[in-house]
Amino acid sequence: MVYAVEMRGITKRFPAVLANDHIDIAIKAGTVHAIIGENGAGKSTLMNILYGLHKPDQGEILINGQKQVFGSATDAIACGIGMVHQHFMLVPRLTVADNVVLGKEPRKGLLYDRKGAIAKVAEVCSRHNIQVDPGKKVADISLGMQQRVEIVKTLYRGAEIIILDEPTAVLTPQEIDDLGEILRQLKEGGKTIIIITHKLEEVMDFSDDISVLRGGKHIATLRKEATDIPELTRLMVGRDVQLGGRKESAPGKEEALRLTDIGYVAEGRKVLKGISLVLHKGEVLGLAGIDGSGQSQLAEIVAGVLTPSAGSIKFQDRDITGKTVAQRKKGGIGFIAQDRQKHGLVMDFSIAENLVLGFQRRPEYCQYKIGVNSKAVISGAQKRIKEYDIRTPGESVRVSMLSGGNQQKVVVAREMGSRPQLIVADQPTRGVDVGAIEAIHNILIDHRNKGGSVLLVSLELDELMMLSDRIAVFFDGRLMGILDSASATREQIGMMMVGSSLPKQGEAAKGGKQAESRKEEPVS
Amino acid sequence: MNLNSFKLRLKDALVPLILIFIAFLFSAVWISFMGKSPLEAYSALFAGAFGSTSGIVNTIKKSVPIAFASFAVIVSTKANVFNIGAEGQLAMGAFGATMAGIFLKGLPAAIHIPAAILAAALGGMAFALIPALLRVKRGINLLVVLLLMNNIARFLLQFFVLDAFASDNALVPSTDRIMESARLPYLIGPPYRLTIAILIVLAVAIILELFFRRSTAGYEMRAVGLSPEAARYAGIDINRYMLLGLLLSGALAGVGGGLEILGNHHRLYIDFSPGYGYDGIPIALLSGGSPLISILGSLLFGALRTGSLTMQAKVGISDEIISVIQGSLILCIAANYFVKYLLNRRRADKKGKEAAK
Repeated sequence: MVYAVEMRGITKRFPAVLANDHIDIAIKAGTVHAIIGENGAGKSTLMNILYGLHKPDQGEILINGQKQVFGSATDAIACGIGMVHQHFMLVPRLTVADNVVLGKEPRKGLLYDRKGAIAKVAEVCSRHNIQVDPGKKVADISLGMQQRVEIVKTLYRGAEIIILDEPTAVLTPQEIDDLGEILRQLKEGGKTIIIITHKLEEVMDFSDDISVLRGGKHIATLRKEATDIPELTRLMVGRDVQLGGRKESAPGKEEALRLTDIGYVAEGRKVLKGISLVLHKGEVLGLAGIDGSGQSQLAEIVAGVLTPSAGSIKFQDRDITGKTVAQRKKGGIGFIAQDRQKHGLVMDFSIAENLVLGFQRRPEYCQYKIGVNSKAVISGAQKRIKEYDIRTPGESVRVSMLSGGNQQKVVVAREMGSRPQLIVADQPTRGVDVGAIEAIHNILIDHRNKGGSVLLVSLELDELMMLSDRIAVFFDGRLMGILDSASATREQIGMMMVGSSLPKQGEAAKGGKQAESRKEEPVS
Repeated sequence: MNLNSFKLRLKDALVPLILIFIAFLFSAVWISFMGKSPLEAYSALFAGAFGSTSGIVNTIKKSVPIAFASFAVIVSTKANVFNIGAEGQLAMGAFGATMAGIFLKGLPAAIHIPAAILAAALGGMAFALIPALLRVKRGINLLVVLLLMNNIARFLLQFFVLDAFASDNALVPSTDRIMESARLPYLIGPPYRLTIAILIVLAVAIILELFFRRSTAGYEMRAVGLSPEAARYAGIDINRYMLLGLLLSGALAGVGGGLEILGNHHRLYIDFSPGYGYDGIPIALLSGGSPLISILGSLLFGALRTGSLTMQAKVGISDEIISVIQGSLILCIAANYFVKYLLNRRRADKKGKEAAK
């Protein structure tokens, strides 16, 4: 049998990392093949080699049985390989058609043939049944649409083998379904699709074959029918994964945080309306709700980065409503911000510098009152890197060089490292791999078991139900009710998330349908 | 430092050199359009700047206010503000130093000189205060404000020199001379007259490097400059640092102007600065935010300003060609990303980013 792609003995070494270690992989023509692995497993490197962006130190590549050597992506494209990167490479101010033909424009004499471009792009789209408006500006279309433009771009250049790097990372559940449909169509049209991902549900939805990488090595290639999510997880991580942590005691009764009648107004819209709730010591309080129901704003108000327009916040029996972020940090509130790259980290700082961000004024990091104690910063960083298993060649590496999961570990290590009493975690596992999710879950639950409090915002209902002692459900800025997570059902919560008050028993089934139609992503 | 990161450093250093080279090449085209030989012009330029002791001394002298202007731009950039108002602050610093030099009487030099430098810093800082407050209190974009402030400074300077503090016994319009006790002592005396100003430049550069690398406030300021949002979430008062950064920036530009008066002119002229404040901008951008490295850039610009006079005399090219070189340099910096991209593509394999993936 001739494979569309065969990679034999691929080895690639970077300074301090063996990214690919003698990887053998064969991909059948006309299939969807998933390459999975944790962040840092070597998936992206392997695909960058296939796309000609990296040269392998050893090994060979066969395309349709022919040996090929790629000096650059141009060679790979000429061989019928296309790649859609995780971060789209589109020019926002140009139209869809302009973007698709960029670099290979149809011409009329010396001039760019804009009409011809639109016609050609429309033709490619209709042939593959992909719906995109070629005349629209890229800046005006959704991320899901932009991804389609990227796919059309590869098709326009004659790709037969299309690589998608983490294609679902930026998509909404609906867009993910649409992408699945497009991939099916392409497969039926005879294309070979390779997707890189660490999200196992999508792997099971989309792919025919699955190859698992771990630590730069090829672990296994399986048919989808012959495996399941638990097995894939085990292969990816190398051991059994225990999500959700283990709660060792009942939640405490002592009050840690009390919110009274919190309101918040942004741009004339009431984002939060009269929220009152209590969080105890040794308790995880989950905040559930459809994205944008106000739960993230509530977390930011507790952390101090947003100022409420009404209400008061009491932490350990002291009113902290008017306190600054710095004062709250000092007082024992840690905050894992939702957007780690924008709010949690200074991307151009080193890991060590980021690990003291917000704590740079603590006596142990200072010297002669005004100086930074570099020795303490570095030794502290080395300790944290070990303790929190941050995968990096060293503490002086810029944090932008790390994978998402490791960046998040830096944030978590920093916020937990100051031994806060209350940790406010706004979607702490968003976009990180399963190994990091497990680590973060364990850290949060461990904090709870030691008597600390956790205010947890998550869009993943399963995660909330696993971690929380109680779940507060938000809808349109209002608190719909607080449920005991031991007795609450997905259906109940789902119903409240779309605006019903505590449902009666009989209505629970109907609510279940609604919750399901929203497609909550299980954490696996 | 291992070999690999050393190579990376080398590459970082290569980019500014390439940019400077391209700027010279581009200007050479214009020189040949004027019917002159670029080679002849540049060798006259070089000879003028470095070919004699007085040339070298002049190059160093001129680099002093330029270096301070580039410090000013660097400091402001670190605090996430872009200070293109250095020229105006420099003028106000010169005015402050002149006033302290003329009107503080009976002081020993050891007190008078620091006092006059302090007055220069205050002059520059005061002139940066208005834009700084507009930025922090009202969130106004500073680019236009700072640029217009430069014009205000020019007119204020005219008012001071031609009217309010005009000297009765000067051939060209200027103020009175400053006291002997306010003049900077010479490292090399007449006829060269190289003052201790260059030592002050070095000292300030070292202090600034230490401030950014070793102090907590410097760390916080860098955080504000690199990612104001992350800094705010970390509880750092970003407005305070923007204010502080711009005021410090103004003070540095002011000292640059002050040293020019205290060291070289000893009285204030309208045209004492041929645009030193603007020279600081490309240098700050070229030096990658390092005050020590910016001294090298300042020496280059000092050399251009010194050598251009010789070039004008020998080859007959207007010294305006210096503005052309500077202009092309700024264009090149804008295109810097492209050059970096070309260099990176050739070494894409060695980039650490993929290594971490």
